[in-house]
Amino acid sequence: MDPTQFDRHKLDEIIEDYRDRKWALIPLLQEVQEEFGFVPPEAIVPIAEALNMFASQVQGVITFYSGFSLKPKGRCVLRVCRGTACHVKGSRSILRLVKKELDLEEGQTSNDYQFTLETVACLGACFLAPTMMVNKDYYGRLNPTKVVSVLGEHRKDKEDD
Amino acid sequence: MESIALTINGKKVSCRMGDTLLSVAEKNSIFIPTLCHHPALKAYGACRMCLVEDENTGRLMASCVTPAAKDMAILTETERIITHRKNIVRLMLAEHPESCIVCSKGNRCELRGIAARLGVAENRLYPMPNYKPYEELNPFIVRDLSKCILCGKCIRADHELVATGAIDYNERGFASRPATLMENPLEESTCTFCGTCVSMCPTGALSSKHAGFVGTPEMQKDSICGFCGAGCSLAIGIAGSRVMEVNPSRVKGSVNSATLCVRGHFAHDFLNSPNRLKQPLIRMPDEDSRLVLQPVPWDQALSKTAEILADIKRSHGPGSIAFVGSPKCSIEENYLFQKIARVVFETNNITSTGSINGQPILRFMENKTMGAARISPFFELEKAEAIVVINADPDHSVPVAAYHVKRATRTGTPLVTIDSRKTGLAPFAAARIRPEPESDPDFRIPLLIASLAAKIADLNGHDSGYISQFTTGWDLIKTETSSMLEANPLSSGEEKEISRAAEMLSGRKIALVLGSDVMESRHGTAIADASFNLVLATGSLGAPNAGIFIPTPESNTAGAMDMGVLPDMLPGRKQLSDSAARNKLESLWKTKLSPDSGLDLPGIIEAAESGHLKALYIMGENLIRALPESSRVEEALKKLDFIVVQDIFDNRTTRLAHVVFPGSAFAEKNGSFTNMEGRIQSFIPAADPPGQARADWHILGMLAQKMGYPEQYATIEKIRQEIRRTVPMYATLGSQRQEWIKNSEDTTPLSVKNGDKFEFASIKQGQPAEISQGKSFTAMLGSLRWHPAGGTRTSRSPRMAAWDRDSQVRLCPADINALDLTGKEAIRISSNHGSIERSFVADPGIFPGRVFVPLGVCGNDAACLAGIDSLKQTAPAWRTCGVDIEKI
Repeated sequence: MDPTQFDRHKLDEIIEDYRDRKWALIPLLQEVQEEFGFVPPEAIVPIAEALNMFASQVQGVITFYSGFSLKPKGRCVLRVCRGTACHVKGSRSILRLVKKELDLEEGQTSNDYQFTLETVACLGACFLAPTMMVNKDYYGRLNPTKVVSVLGEHRKDKEDD
Repeated sequence: MESIALTINGKKVSCRMGDTLLSVAEKNSIFIPTLCHHPALKAYGACRMCLVEDENTGRLMASCVTPAAKDMAILTETERIITHRKNIVRLMLAEHPESCIVCSKGNRCELRGIAARLGVAENRLYPMPNYKPYEELNPFIVRDLSKCILCGKCIRADHELVATGAIDYNERGFASRPATLMENPLEESTCTFCGTCVSMCPTGALSSKHAGFVGTPEMQKDSICGFCGAGCSLAIGIAGSRVMEVNPSRVKGSVNSATLCVRGHFAHDFLNSPNRLKQPLIRMPDEDSRLVLQPVPWDQALSKTAEILADIKRSHGPGSIAFVGSPKCSIEENYLFQKIARVVFETNNITSTGSINGQPILRFMENKTMGAARISPFFELEKAEAIVVINADPDHSVPVAAYHVKRATRTGTPLVTIDSRKTGLAPFAAARIRPEPESDPDFRIPLLIASLAAKIADLNGHDSGYISQFTTGWDLIKTETSSMLEANPLSSGEEKEISRAAEMLSGRKIALVLGSDVMESRHGTAIADASFNLVLATGSLGAPNAGIFIPTPESNTAGAMDMGVLPDMLPGRKQLSDSAARNKLESLWKTKLSPDSGLDLPGIIEAAESGHLKALYIMGENLIRALPESSRVEEALKKLDFIVVQDIFDNRTTRLAHVVFPGSAFAEKNGSFTNMEGRIQSFIPAADPPGQARADWHILGMLAQKMGYPEQYATIEKIRQEIRRTVPMYATLGSQRQEWIKNSEDTTPLSVKNGDKFEFASIKQGQPAEISQGKSFTAMLGSLRWHPAGGTRTSRSPRMAAWDRDSQVRLCPADINALDLTGKEAIRISSNHGSIERSFVADPGIFPGRVFVPLGVCGNDAACLAGIDSLKQTAPAWRTCGVDIEKI
C-alpha cells in the first residue's frame, strides 16, 4: 500500500463538517491527521476554500505545529524525550541506541513505514526519566534492554498485520 | 472621545483613547525606530525595535502595539532600551549575509539605517547566515530570503492590502520564512506580482528584477500612473534622467494607498525602450528617391504639417480631415486637440479609441443618472453595506479596484457577483449568480439582474420611500420582469443563488461595480439597464458608500470624454446637439460650431476607404493595433493623402505616416488625468523625454500657432486656465494636485433638477441570437492584468515581454478534451474577420463553447477577430464574436 494515498471521499466528508467555520482550522486538521496519519498536501487547497482562508495560511499552521505532518508517518511514531531530566538520566545514549536499532535519524521514517523517529523537548514525565513514547504509550525508566524489547514488541506488530 | 494625558521623554502630550504609543510619539515628532511597522498595515509587534520604557513601572513595551494609557511616563531612549535595540540588531545582522555592497536596497535598507543609527557595526557574534535559494526566475520580483528579517510586512501586505494570499509564514523558529504554497517559486503560486511587498520590504530580501545591478535611484518624484483608470499615486525613482523604479507614493488619501499592480510597479521600463521616437520625422525622397521617414528639425516638421493640412482643408473642405485623440493622453492635451479640430479645422471629426473602450458605459450612466454618478470614490466600497459586481473582473482590468472589493469582503461585507465567467473575485463572493450555460449566457444576465431586484422587492428589502420620491416607472419594471421571467424561466440553480443573494442584499444600499466593457458585448445595453434598475430599486444612487462604480480601462478614459473628444459630444459632457451648450462655446471660442456630429471610428475607416477622407491626425494611439480588423484599417490608412502621428513609439501606424512627432509618456510631462472615480489628478514630469521628444500639449500648441491660431499655448497653465473657464465640471483644474469633478447644483445626487426623477429603464432584451454566427465557439475578448486595453505600452516593457503567460487563451476542460488537445500545441482561432494562433490553458471558470482571448498581446492580434462593422452602433459590441477553433 502506498501510504501517500488517502481516501478523498473521506477527506471531503471531514471538510464538509467544518465548512465556513474559520476558527475550526486546528480541530479540522487534527481530524485529518488522525484519519490519515498525516495531512495530505493535496488537502490544503480544499481546506482553505472551505474555511475561506488562503492556502498559504493553512500551510503555515500545519508546518508551525509539530503535531501536524505533511508527510506520511510510520505506524509507530517514537518520540524520545530529550528534556533536562531525561538528559541527566542518559537519554542521549537511549537515542543513540534507538537510532542504531532502527537505522533511522531524527525525523526520519523507515522505508516500510513501520517506524518514525522523533525527539521532543519534554514529555512531561520526568519522574520516569529517561522516557520515550510510542504512539500514545509512555515507556519510562528506560535502559538498553528495555528499549530493545519495546522496539521488538512493535516490530512484532508488523508481523501480525 | 476621551483625551488621555501622559508624558513622553518628560514632554506632556495628550492623545485619544486607543492611540498607540508609537503614533502619539510620531505626532509629537519623537522618533522611535521601527522595522515591521507600516502605516497602511495593522500593528504587529514583530521586530521589537520600537521598545519603550514606562518610567513608573519599569516595563518595556513595543510601542507600535501598546495603547497609550493615562499618566504613563514613557522614555524612548534610555540606556536599557538602547542596549536591547542594539542586541536585536546584532542578532539580525548575525543572521544576515554580508552582501550590502551589491545589494540594490543600498542606502534605503532600513536594517542598515537602524544599525548605523545605533552604531552597530561589528556585531561580535558568531555569524549564522540562513542561506536560502536566490529566486529570480520570474521577470518581476527577486527573492533573496537569506536577507529576510521576518518582519512580516510582505505577508501582511499580501493578506491585508491586496488580499491575494500567495505567501504566509512557513515552518517554525530558525527555519521560518515567508513562503508560497509548497514553497513553490512565485511564478507557480497565486502571486499577481503587484509588487506591494517589494515596496514595503525593509531589507533587500525582496527587490524588483533588473537586467543587471542598478544601484539605488538618486531621487524620487511623485507622479500618477498612466496605465489604467485607477490613477495610482506613484513615487518614481530616477537615476540620471532614467526612470529606474516605481513605488506607491506616500501621498495621503490616494486611490491606491500602499499598493500597486504589476503594470504600475514593473511595466514602466517601456519608457527606456529603444523604439522610442526621438526626433520629428517627415516622409521625403531619399537618394534613391524612395519616400522614407527622415529626421527634420521641429520647426520644419510643424510648418510643413500646418501647410499641408491647411491646403487639404482649403481644397477638400473641413470634413476631409479627421482627428483621433487618446484616452492615454492628458486632459489638457485632449482639450487642446479637440479645440484645434473644432475651431482651427472646423470639423467634428474627432474621436478616440475610448469611444469603443469604456466610454460607452460612462455615457450610458451619465444619461440615465442625469450626472448623479460622476463621482464614486472607490474607498467607499470598503464602507459599503453590500457590493454587487456585474460582468467585471477588476482583478485583471483595474487591480486596485479589486483590492478595495476584496478588502471589504474580508471585513464581512457581502459580495454578490453576476457573471458568466469565474472571475478573480469569485473566491471572495458570498453569492455567485451564474447564468445557465446556454449558447448565449450573456443573454440571461439582464434577466438574472432583474429577477434579483424583483426578489429583493419580494422580501420587502427595496427602498420604497426612495422609489416613490426620486424615481418613476417602478411598477412597469415589475410587470416587465415577470413577463421576462415567463418567457425565460429561471433554472433551479439560478433561482436558489438569486434567493440567497437577495437575502444578503435585502434592506441594504448596494455599491454596484459594473464592468467598463459591458456595453461592448452583446446584450450590453440590457445588462446596463438592468444594473441601473437594481441600483434605483435599492435606493443606492446618491446614498453614501453606495451607487455605481465603473473601473475604467485607461488613465484618462473619463477625462478624454469630458474634454469632448467625441464626434457628438462637447467638453463638459454636453451633447453637440444641445444648442445652448454650443452657443456658449461659440462665444467663448469665437467661432461657429456645426451641430452635425462628425465621423466616429468606423466612419473614419469607411470614409478613408471611400476616399472622402483625405487627412488623419492621430495623437497617442497606434490605430492599426488598437482597432479591430487591423489589415482593413491598414489598407484604409494607406489610401489617405496625409497622416500625422504624434506618438512615443515607432509602430505600424507611424510607419504609414507622412509626418511623425515624437511625444512624451505620462512620466515625462505635465498634465492631468480623470480617473474612474471622477478624481482629477495633476502631475509634473519625473524624467526627461528622450531626444527631442516633447510633451504632446506642447506640440499641439506649436501646431496651432503655425496654423495661424491667435491664442498661444506655451504653458500648461494657459490650457488649464481655458479649461477652467470653458468646462464648469473642471472649474478647479490644476489648482491642487488632486480634486474632484465639480457637479453643478442640478446634478448633485438626490437634488435632481426641477424635481426630475430617475426613470427606471425598460430592459430591451434582444434575442439569444445567432451568437456564434455559424461558428462553434463564442470568443470573449478581454484584458488580463499584464496589458491594459491595446497594450501598446506594456508590450514594449522588457519585463512584460519576458512573461510568457499573458497570451494564453482560456478554454473549459471539456472543450479541450472534445477538441482532442493534449496540452502544449497551439490552436488556431478564426472568425469571419481574421484568425490568430495562440497557446491555451484550461480554465474551469469558462463555460463550454466559450473561449476567452486576452487582448493587448502579440500586437493585439485578438482584435482582428472582431469586425469594424460591429462598432457601428451605440453599444459597439465588438468583444464577443463567433469563432472556430482548430488544432495546428
